[in-house]
Amino acid sequence: MSLVHRFVHPRFLAHAAAVGLALGAAQYSGLGADTLMAAEPDRQRQLVITDSKGDRGMLAPYVHRKNGIAYLYTSYIFDTLVSQDADGNPAPGLARTWTRSEDGLSYDLELQPDAKWHDGTPVTADDVAFTLRYMAEHPYVFGSVKSLAGVEVAGAHDLRIHIKRAQYGLVEGLFSAIPILPRHIYEGVEDPFRFATSDAAIGSGPYRLAAYDKAQGRYRLEATENHPLGRPRFAQIWIVKMGPDAALQAMSTGEVDVISYLPPDRLPEALGAGFAVETSPSDHVLRLGFNHRGQFQTKEVRQAIAYAVDRSALLETAFPGVAELAETGYFQPGSKWKSEDATESYTYDPARARDLLLATGWTQDSAGRWQAQGGEIRLRLLTDGREVKPAKVIAEQLEAFGFAVDLRVMEMASLRSLVADGDYDLTLFSSSTLGDPGNISRRVFGRGWNSDRFPADPKMTGLIKAQAVAQNQAERQEILAQFQQLYAENLPSYMLVNPLMATVFNDKLSAPFMSGGVAIGIPSALHKSIFLE
Amino acid sequence: MQVTSRRRLLLAAVILLCLGIWLAGAGGLLEYHSSKEVLAPPGQGHWLGTNEIGQDVLTGLILATPTTLALAIATALVTVSLAVGAASLVVFGGPFLSALVLRCVDILQVVPTMLLLLLIAALVSPGFMALFFLLVLTGWSDDVRVAAAVLRREALRENVQYPRVMGAGWVYCWRWHLFAALRPLLGALMVQNIRQAALKSAGLAFLGLTDPRLLTWGSMMQSAMDQLYTDAWIWLLLPPAALLSLLLHTTLTLGDRRLRSGAVLGPAV
Repeated sequence: MSLVHRFVHPRFLAHAAAVGLALGAAQYSGLGADTLMAAEPDRQRQLVITDSKGDRGMLAPYVHRKNGIAYLYTSYIFDTLVSQDADGNPAPGLARTWTRSEDGLSYDLELQPDAKWHDGTPVTADDVAFTLRYMAEHPYVFGSVKSLAGVEVAGAHDLRIHIKRAQYGLVEGLFSAIPILPRHIYEGVEDPFRFATSDAAIGSGPYRLAAYDKAQGRYRLEATENHPLGRPRFAQIWIVKMGPDAALQAMSTGEVDVISYLPPDRLPEALGAGFAVETSPSDHVLRLGFNHRGQFQTKEVRQAIAYAVDRSALLETAFPGVAELAETGYFQPGSKWKSEDATESYTYDPARARDLLLATGWTQDSAGRWQAQGGEIRLRLLTDGREVKPAKVIAEQLEAFGFAVDLRVMEMASLRSLVADGDYDLTLFSSSTLGDPGNISRRVFGRGWNSDRFPADPKMTGLIKAQAVAQNQAERQEILAQFQQLYAENLPSYMLVNPLMATVFNDKLSAPFMSGGVAIGIPSALHKSIFLE
Repeated sequence: MQVTSRRRLLLAAVILLCLGIWLAGAGGLLEYHSSKEVLAPPGQGHWLGTNEIGQDVLTGLILATPTTLALAIATALVTVSLAVGAASLVVFGGPFLSALVLRCVDILQVVPTMLLLLLIAALVSPGFMALFFLLVLTGWSDDVRVAAAVLRREALRENVQYPRVMGAGWVYCWRWHLFAALRPLLGALMVQNIRQAALKSAGLAFLGLTDPRLLTWGSMMQSAMDQLYTDAWIWLLLPPAALLSLLLHTTLTLGDRRLRSGAVLGPAV
């Protein structure tokens, strides 16, 4: 396929020619208004979404960028076995039904009989079995198939998935997370991480990728026909890169329909212009991370820092009206896993912080500066360019408490390497608390710079493992309630504030943020079901 | 003579003022802290309003003065001296030295500054001195060719050639003939470097090269840029920008009166 054809689809040329002809004819016949009215539904059938960042990589499972938004866009093109309804609960996706066996060791799935790949080939149980095997060989970043024992294909649209140990979260976890790949395309691909041609984006989702311009960060998706979950509402969806100013401007002239994430402090402008605005706590909680291998090995020292940081002052200073105080026990209000019992909230209490530190052997000199082993304590606080405001406030609070703080705002690559080398004391980062709790382990014990990097803790690890194999939701909730108490007490990281997120819509469509997040826990209102009739 | 003494008086006053501010800051008389009054417009409590984390803009401007002046002037002085020194080597140093210096300049100009900064940032620990060092290192090469061109032209003039023939050394000629001819250019280069130092230093904070809390007029302007869509830019951006303009203007005036008001071609007053 030539380059021109990839970017300018023949059908688009045909449309352009048709509109040109119609306009030309209108001039001669004097029927301009009527002809333009006829062209209007075409505009109605097109949706333009803005993205402030732009390029998210090729929208195929192995080559999209490793972040939630890239996953979200890819989900428009690739279906998962299980989808979500408007409340965020499991709903049929590629699988029409799923049945858990008595012993919980296998699932019987029946696929949608009329699902098709974008090239017209039917989707079969073979494709699903292939995907699960393929992902065992080539791990996919947003879903691990390690817990599966095997797949049995029972018919063109029937299959049975065996799992190693009975676990409860499979439907909302793995089945909802991994995109099903077309066997006839991916079978011959040795290294999917380098497979980024247009064929790589052949999925079975309601929209297919028609054009991708990497330099401009622009995507054009086109509706498919006969998708089993419903008829696409829009003939085309454009995703274009645009900053908040340009996006607001373009929205008022009608060129843009959805602003995917508008910084919440810009909301008054959007509301003033009369657009529909949906807001929600992002559950991408801003956290104070500790170097658990450095000065913050003991939990009392971490707790002291928590008492020394005034979260409400931070909220009112750096996030006035655009965030909520976070819960300290990991899960945030609105999550179905959030425990009823309150966790320690570490209300600002410098006296208590001082007592805790003195008890661990730290001392304070006459000027109030903290000392340990004879030397002044200097805390190196690292963060990236997005969190400068809160970082300044926290540094100020810690200095007022008697620490010397060395605040450094890093560019991402250096930040990662400094954190990996343990060359820091505190970090300020945001990380999601959404998604199936199966991902807690990675977020708490993972080694990434935006994980808590908490050292192995038998008690917490035990609970995380126990919840994974719990037999029902109530049991899982009970185990996770204990986990939340432990999290708040041990402080793998200190949850500070939960910033709000906002999506702006015009009159073409609007939808609230999906409860519990989309699929793997992406805080978004743009689940693909809202683009279906 | 009167001009010179007035200049000295001004310089002394500025140094005293900076010392005073520095002492007041260290002694806790001037506190620059965040507060819940975020982006408050100028009024009774805050004469110049507050910034995005509720810090008082007027206090910030005062506290930023010594750092900004010291950083800008020191950087500009050292940068321009280095550039003129290198230009002298290019013009008078013979073919080998000249080629060596020019190739160094080429390399510094071709390698992206950002890359260079990141490299150095890995080696030095951040702070005022590191910032000064980085600014000088990335700044001097830009001025070498300009200074060399003027020097070369001046060195060929009769008023230099004549004493040379009469046995005067290069140092003498430099002191009495070349330097005088270079002065207008030096003034302009100083202004340019002061401006660059003030603005570049703010950008470097975002590479982890300095503490973002290091307060300069440039860093205040940089953080004001985020507020361009609100009215707050009026009290966040304009005051430091005005002070910076004043600094540049004063430098020009002190440097060479002929450059003031753009009257370059007029007779020296």
